[in-house]
Amino acid sequence: MAVLHAWRTARVTPLGELHAPPRMTAVLVRLTVQVVLVASLWSGLYAHTGATAGMTREQAISYAVLAALASRLRELDQYAGRDTVIQHVHFGTIVYWYLRPLPPARYHALRALGEQIYGAAWALAGFAVCLAVGVVQPPKSAAVAGVFVLSLLLGQLILYFIMLLIDQWCFWMLRNTSAVLILIFAQNLMSGVYAPLWFFPGWFRTLSTYLPFQATLNVPLSLYVGRIQLSDAGRQLAIQAGWVVVLFLFTRFLWRRAARRVISQGG
Amino acid sequence: MTGSIEVRGLSRTFHTTVRRPGFAGALRSLVNPERVAKHAVSDISFDVAPGELLALLGPNGAGKSTTIKMLTGILTPTSGEARVADVVPYEERERNARNIGAVFGQRTQLWWDLPVKESFAILRDIYDVPKAEHSARLREFDDILELSAFWDTRVRHLSLGQRVRCDLAAALLHDPPVVFLDEPTIGMDVVVKEQVREFLRHQVEQRGRTVLLTTHDMTEVERLAERVVLINHGRLVLDGTLDEIRRKFGSTWQVRATLADGHTDVVPPPGIALLRQDGPQVVFGPDGSEAPTVHQALKAVIERYEVTDIAIDEADLEDVMRVAYAHAGPPAEGA
Repeated sequence: MAVLHAWRTARVTPLGELHAPPRMTAVLVRLTVQVVLVASLWSGLYAHTGATAGMTREQAISYAVLAALASRLRELDQYAGRDTVIQHVHFGTIVYWYLRPLPPARYHALRALGEQIYGAAWALAGFAVCLAVGVVQPPKSAAVAGVFVLSLLLGQLILYFIMLLIDQWCFWMLRNTSAVLILIFAQNLMSGVYAPLWFFPGWFRTLSTYLPFQATLNVPLSLYVGRIQLSDAGRQLAIQAGWVVVLFLFTRFLWRRAARRVISQGG
Repeated sequence: MTGSIEVRGLSRTFHTTVRRPGFAGALRSLVNPERVAKHAVSDISFDVAPGELLALLGPNGAGKSTTIKMLTGILTPTSGEARVADVVPYEERERNARNIGAVFGQRTQLWWDLPVKESFAILRDIYDVPKAEHSARLREFDDILELSAFWDTRVRHLSLGQRVRCDLAAALLHDPPVVFLDEPTIGMDVVVKEQVREFLRHQVEQRGRTVLLTTHDMTEVERLAERVVLINHGRLVLDGTLDEIRRKFGSTWQVRATLADGHTDVVPPPGIALLRQDGPQVVFGPDGSEAPTVHQALKAVIERYEVTDIAIDEADLEDVMRVAYAHAGPPAEGA
């Protein structure tokens, strides 16, 4: 039952950010610059053309800007807060995760939940501004908005499990820098952060369907801009839910294995 | 629930890969890795009574931390059994977590970016401690550790001494009957060390907590522990009081004497060795395992020689432990 009382754990990252105003300023500047550049880039690309890859100018800009906003959901400076799994394993402080009545898996999930909510506040504020100035088009209907939110939630769950896999990697390798770099690149490329997946060749999109990355952002964003029709939403949501179940079971299995490998440096 | 610790035949073996030297060796290790067993802890048994402070001592790599990790449930022993406050720690980690507090040297469990009080509040929630109880305990800890002077400061801005005091408080906020302290005062100045010792004494004597302490600071052992368990090479060497340890290993006395004229050819009494001679000034020490006590030696020297000045130096606990470590026997098999 400790998880019910441990809600304060979810506040750790947002509170840490609030205690470090320079970091908040940096997030604001980064987000603003990124949105402006992305919007400018896609406006430029569509300057002399109509629809490309099945997307209109408005769809492409909305997709790209929303991708930039959504990518901020979990991109927080945990490293500065000495609160990454790799740091805990390296410094030996991971032992404390196993000395509390709150299981490490739930602690990790609560921490991530707090980060997601904090990140969502930034993304929502950015979304409101972009909507107000007309950079992002509003959803076509309430149904589209509802399906988008549901799909985005499932996508964020999938993203959480992918990040968790990388964290769990540390229990075996004591280092995860390379894995993180590969993951960030794969995630950004195959989820549509760099460019909507619709612009990639057919074989690449086929390959992406066998991996979980496109389900994190490409599916919800495509639903939002109407590149995936509502009639296909049920199937897409089912695929996302499937990834959630598979990744949940796999990461749960790894948590059990990781508990046997709690190693701290020295002593 | 009692805060006792029972350890029976506890062993932990790690399997590691031997890295052969050189390029060819590294290649061979890659293709045909050689695995060896390292017995970090071998067949250790001891008890700690409720409300007792036991010092678990031994040189670096002796197996102290591995023992503590098994008792806290972080590691599962290869064989043997341990019970901490009536719970097998590695089988019931969550239940055990409510019964124990732990501080591992300079490794902090506090949240780096948050003020200390926020960390305390998070731990209060995790352990489900009622607010009134939490506040009362914080006041009690503050009285001795003077936490309120810096508990609104972010952890990253605390000095080592401040942080370790906060970590001690964090480990005890949920009122655990058993506390494990792995070198808690390492790197701290003497003033803070004394403050921590006073805090620990208070927790043992007034609150009845059972404390298992590892340290290399013999002053700390003398001030806090009545009983000591000494391990080396993963094996238990001695389990007894400080007096017993002194009796067994503390015969490293020296008798310094200034002899009257004429004693150039000094032949010491049986069981006594001449360690140094500089003219009339001589230093005697114990010789062999049948050496007399320091007082017997003093008497023997005075009876044998005409002395103008004489003094004795008895070994302090650090000297005693040095001898104890040296006598701690051969490495465990495979270690």
